[in-house]
Amino acid sequence: MNLEKTDFNNTTSSVGLYFIVYSDRAEDEVVDPKKYLEESCKPKCVKPLLEYQACVKRIQGDDSGHKHCTGQYFDYWHCIDKCVAPKLFAKLK
Amino acid sequence: MQHTVSTWNTHFLSFIVLLIRSFPQSSPSPISSLHSPRVDLVQSVNQMVGGGVIQQILRRKLHSQSAATPVLSWFASKKVHEDAAGSSGVRALALLGAGVTGLLSFSTVASADEAEHGLACPDYPWPHDGILSSYDHASIRRGHQVYQQVCASCHSMSLISYRDLVGVAYTEEEAKAMAAEIEVVDGPNDEGEMFTRPGKLSDRLPQPYANESAARFANGGAYPPDLSLITKARHNGQNYVFALLTGYRDPPAGISIREGLHYNPYFPGGAIAMPKMLNDEAVEYEDGVPATEAQMGKDVVSFLSWAAEPEMEERKLMGFKWIFLLSLALLQAAYYRRLKWSVLKSRKLVLDVVN
Repeated sequence: MNLEKTDFNNTTSSVGLYFIVYSDRAEDEVVDPKKYLEESCKPKCVKPLLEYQACVKRIQGDDSGHKHCTGQYFDYWHCIDKCVAPKLFAKLK
Repeated sequence: MQHTVSTWNTHFLSFIVLLIRSFPQSSPSPISSLHSPRVDLVQSVNQMVGGGVIQQILRRKLHSQSAATPVLSWFASKKVHEDAAGSSGVRALALLGAGVTGLLSFSTVASADEAEHGLACPDYPWPHDGILSSYDHASIRRGHQVYQQVCASCHSMSLISYRDLVGVAYTEEEAKAMAAEIEVVDGPNDEGEMFTRPGKLSDRLPQPYANESAARFANGGAYPPDLSLITKARHNGQNYVFALLTGYRDPPAGISIREGLHYNPYFPGGAIAMPKMLNDEAVEYEDGVPATEAQMGKDVVSFLSWAAEPEMEERKLMGFKWIFLLSLALLQAAYYRRLKWSVLKSRKLVLDVVN
């Protein structure tokens, strides 16, 4: 079985494949596409994010150790995941 | 936790009382609009609770929650009085009351359930998902590299042999060379002694620990599971494993994880013994693909999917072929049946009066 070794050093196609700055090869800073997409999906999930932040504020004074914001946290991350999942694999090899 | 839940319960109960007073012809649906999403689980349970026996058990259970008792006895007395009248509308009301008692007793469980089941993982569009899609074999090869360099120090894959990789991810020579790098205990020899030899294609992938106890001891009591079948051994395995590996985050406010465990929302309970293993550029891929966290996650899950279901490609081809052929056979059989039965189905029967 022959797996071809593609020469990636001269790739100019595949938009968005690497998150390396195209014009400047000296800076080979690799950005994780998932993190990038999670950041870019934040505006879509503002409502659960605000709910979560409101919860954090609400429980700030609590010392009993029983209060937590897992529900709001899950809602927010579920929203982000739903936004990221369809787009992520297009950015991966 | 207990006292905060029961005050919530009584508040909720008073809501229910108001609702029932305004809707004499009640059904369970008016309640659902009151629910926060978190109590959806309870609503489904509510619908399950309908029997009289359950009513009794739950009422007895709830009598122990003192705050709820006076309202409960109101329910009980209402049911007793109106049962005598025997109207079915009241029966529905009584059932609703039973549902509410069920709801209350399960509400304490609802708040724990989220973290208990873990955050639901999303569905990723795996390249091998389609009805006739094969594995991405380049991805399997990279995934094996990730497994070998990142995961194999703790996780065994004792059902996979080196020869399984031939033709899937490596050539025979490459697989032989990889196998030869490990030492395998073999024997006994002619002198009756065990000896070690370099590995062959027929050998299984090496195990990091001699047995489960050794594995637990080295990992703070937690056993790193064998990964040979992991994508089949977990619900929605492929998506779950990917989400888990790439999902290490800071815990939500109010949650603290003890020393030795790490927070992962996808893991049931939230506290997993395994630390975050996939970090950008942890591995240098042979084919030069940038090894981001997501890339490594995708590749390793492709590898694990192959390991759990190596027959997938053949299965899909076979399935497509036979479903097609059997559909043709079905059409043929339907035609033949109707042809043969047409004789009976087209006959006429005449009924005549006997004089």
